[in-house]
Amino acid sequence: MTILEEPSIGAGRGDTGGPRRIIGTSQLRKEDDRLLRGDGRFTDDVEPARVLYMAVARCPYPHARVAHVDTSAAAALAGVEHVLTPTDVRRCTEPLTVLRPVPGAPRLPYYALAQDVATHEGQPVVSVVANSRHVAEDALELLDITYEPLPHVVDVLAALEPDAPVLHPSVLDSNLLAANSDGSGDPDSRFAQADVVVEGRFRINRVTALPMETRGVVAEWRPGARELTVHCSSQVPHLIRKELAEILRLGESEIRAVASDVGGGFGLKLGVFPEDVLACLHSIALRRPVKWSEDRGEHFRGSTHARESVHDYRIAADATGRILAMTNVYATDIGGWNSPFGSAQLSSVVFNGPYKVDDGYTERRVTLTNKTPIGAYRGYGQPEVNFAYERLMDQLARRLNLDPVELRARNMVTSQDMPWRNPTGAVYDSGDYERCLRMAADAVDWAGHRARGRAPRADGRLVGIGFSSFVERTGYASARFLARRGSMFGAHESVTLRANRSGGIDVYTGVSTMGQSGETAFAQVVADVFGTDYDAVRVHAGDTATSPLNTGAFASRTMIAASGALRASAEQLAAKTRRIAAWRLDASVDDVEIIGSAVRVRADHSRAVPLATVYTTAITGQGMPPEEEPGLEATAHFEPSDAAYSFGTAAAQVAVDPQTGEFDIERFVMVHDGGTIVNPTVVDGQVRGGLAQGFGAALAEELRYDADSGQLVNGSMMDYFVPTAADLPRVELRHTTVPSPVTPFGVRGVGEVGTIPPGAAVANAVCDALADFGVELSALPITPEAVWDALAGQTASRGTELTPTPSGLPDGGIKY
Amino acid sequence: MSGLEAPEELLVETVTTVNGRVVRANVPARLHLADFLRLHLGLTGTHIGCEQGACGMCTVIVDGEAVKSCLMLACQVDGRDVRTVESLAEEDELNTLQQAFKEEHALQCGFCSPGFLMTATALAHQNCRPGPDRIREEIAGVLCRCTGYDNVVAAIERWFLENPQGSPADPLPAGHRGHCDPGLT
Repeated sequence: MTILEEPSIGAGRGDTGGPRRIIGTSQLRKEDDRLLRGDGRFTDDVEPARVLYMAVARCPYPHARVAHVDTSAAAALAGVEHVLTPTDVRRCTEPLTVLRPVPGAPRLPYYALAQDVATHEGQPVVSVVANSRHVAEDALELLDITYEPLPHVVDVLAALEPDAPVLHPSVLDSNLLAANSDGSGDPDSRFAQADVVVEGRFRINRVTALPMETRGVVAEWRPGARELTVHCSSQVPHLIRKELAEILRLGESEIRAVASDVGGGFGLKLGVFPEDVLACLHSIALRRPVKWSEDRGEHFRGSTHARESVHDYRIAADATGRILAMTNVYATDIGGWNSPFGSAQLSSVVFNGPYKVDDGYTERRVTLTNKTPIGAYRGYGQPEVNFAYERLMDQLARRLNLDPVELRARNMVTSQDMPWRNPTGAVYDSGDYERCLRMAADAVDWAGHRARGRAPRADGRLVGIGFSSFVERTGYASARFLARRGSMFGAHESVTLRANRSGGIDVYTGVSTMGQSGETAFAQVVADVFGTDYDAVRVHAGDTATSPLNTGAFASRTMIAASGALRASAEQLAAKTRRIAAWRLDASVDDVEIIGSAVRVRADHSRAVPLATVYTTAITGQGMPPEEEPGLEATAHFEPSDAAYSFGTAAAQVAVDPQTGEFDIERFVMVHDGGTIVNPTVVDGQVRGGLAQGFGAALAEELRYDADSGQLVNGSMMDYFVPTAADLPRVELRHTTVPSPVTPFGVRGVGEVGTIPPGAAVANAVCDALADFGVELSALPITPEAVWDALAGQTASRGTELTPTPSGLPDGGIKY
Repeated sequence: MSGLEAPEELLVETVTTVNGRVVRANVPARLHLADFLRLHLGLTGTHIGCEQGACGMCTVIVDGEAVKSCLMLACQVDGRDVRTVESLAEEDELNTLQQAFKEEHALQCGFCSPGFLMTATALAHQNCRPGPDRIREEIAGVLCRCTGYDNVVAAIERWFLENPQGSPADPLPAGHRGHCDPGLT
């Protein structure tokens, strides 16, 4: 990877550090040895003594009344220990809570087992616990459940029609869960004045995060101790604890949630799902540990899907290509229930992308359908709108006969503009957007491509180049921002540092380990700020019994917030370490420094004391300076002053066969700015991994429902294809480094950005190649079949307009 | 509990060698090899991702060949040699393949890593030095959602370059060596 500028790490060093620099270096990962040796501890690896196994019966229909449940035959099967019915669950629990509710939406009555009516295929109806998973699944076969199928709707626009069956009639009159609008200026007038307007309807495919480890839970209740220990595969153990307490009517002090190794999350593993509640209820009833490991068929139906939405986008411009206004009115599918995070809000927050738009309007219509619930997924609203606005930018360039690179450059927010507030109130902090665009254009020889024209190659294929410029909001603006949306968590992170008598520092965090290299990066920050060795720092992650209450690993937010808490706690710990050492060395505090495994006098390195000795002094309280308290431990909380915006441009070069629509991605260049980088190799890996998921969603993945039956038709790994090693194009990665002014060390989030540009860049490249045919793609995924359809003029008809409704629809009264 | 009798669980006497140790067990006929390794032997490094043979998380080596242990019944390894990820490290040291994965950042969440490690180890038993394209084809039966595969390919390629004889520390019995397809290097 290319670092164009040295990271400027201004804050936080104080005089505690030595000459070594650990932030910004590619330290080998802390997590790797155990994982490579098969010694990770994923939830399914947890096997307590006397554990029992749970299996779940699920509604096979998209919408059905659960008319009758007879569990007697199942309960009588030898080896079956316990059965839970909807009635049991109604008696013992509250409805599942939501961590990120839709502003203005009523709470949907959704229990761990369907009450009366199930609203999607895969919704749990009965659960069984037995002495083996085999027997538990045998018992499911013996259940007698009578369903009365109800009319269903799976298409997101059809669900908003007046004749659609209403999913939650007890709290809603339609399937519109809520509508939220935001904007600034006077876009209507600007559209009226515009020289040119481009618009389109963009359909975003329903995909799923598909972590390789499915969900799972092991619950163990000790009634005498009133202690419920819950091992679960989660990105947010402290939020699991909170939600389980609410749903199970327990106190938080009675619950310990543990997420040790998590086999991928990507947003899917945020919050409590029905099976988590069921395993706890069984364990409480049986006084034995109960385990559930989701199988892949359940995962496709009972976890969450993502992204599905329909966007009506419009851009108004003057004759020079200057954008005058932009609007995005869209329906986003939330499925049969509001899962803990629900559908994305970011499609509104950054709907204008990297472009300077003063007059804009965005409106989100959150729509219920009889499908698996939608949840958070890496990028969470940003790949969706990027596809739409970047497709329109190319169409605008064609309409005005402008170079699409120049059109983008002309409209980008500049470094002089920033900090700049977009129409929804998002404050873009800093950056050089145009430089990334120019670098990408140079890398793919855009000028040469333009000069060569569109002559086909000898094999008849046409070459096209397409761009996608983007911003990514990383982290949250503030706790106040979250409070306005009713979100049940903060914008901060918290860590505890504790010295030990071996000379090491233990770091305790509620951020679980799911591949994002948190253990590595946290140790790097602590070692760097404190001045000790990277090897001397060990991170203990994901256990609510040991870690301070925090927020969790999502929204590309962990380092943005945690680095501040790590820095503050390491500084506190270092200051006390130096005071104790100075007293022992008979030196002034200002004259001693922490270097590696010792504290020494700067002017006389022979006068030194091992850190292990200093730590033991503090831990035993023996030999402490007068007036110094015993102990060596620090907890810090940190909320950044605002969200940081990552940015960049990707460029794709494709060769398209205009006869068949088949195409190859010959080059893919990604220029990205993640601010100050803590570990270059890890950041590179995060971006590449995000791109792989981005290519999957852009080119192949799509969960399809049959409209007549309402069934998911490709809900298995035999039918839903994520990219393999043999499928992906080669990625050329370049970075710029503009430190963010709103975060510690200048970091920006990097975890999600790769998911954003592949769809738009590839679609723009295909449309560039086929410009003479007038092909304008407007739906994902981009398959050869879709290109062939577009060549044949068989694009889907537009249907009813999603016209803006400034006053007609409820917006919940809450502004973005 | 009383009433319905459970159907008699059919047990099959099975003698197999797992990571060099002889294992004798009466295994349920319907138990697949991945569950046997995990539940009966405690070898939880072999992961389960789909139980359809599609994801490759459960890849182990049986008689020198990479197999998906969710598609094989435990009783089918009677008389055969099984290797899992737990067999790779030597004492407290990662073996050279594992070390290459670590140094090339070929894993993130690490759930898929055992599948890639066992696939690459089996490839080494075929006495060839695959290039990156061949490696991509060979490992396409193991899915990863974190890395985008580039670093996995780099680690395996590097390991083959640095260890041209394959994995020197884990030689298989002579009869278990496969052959390299010369058309796919």
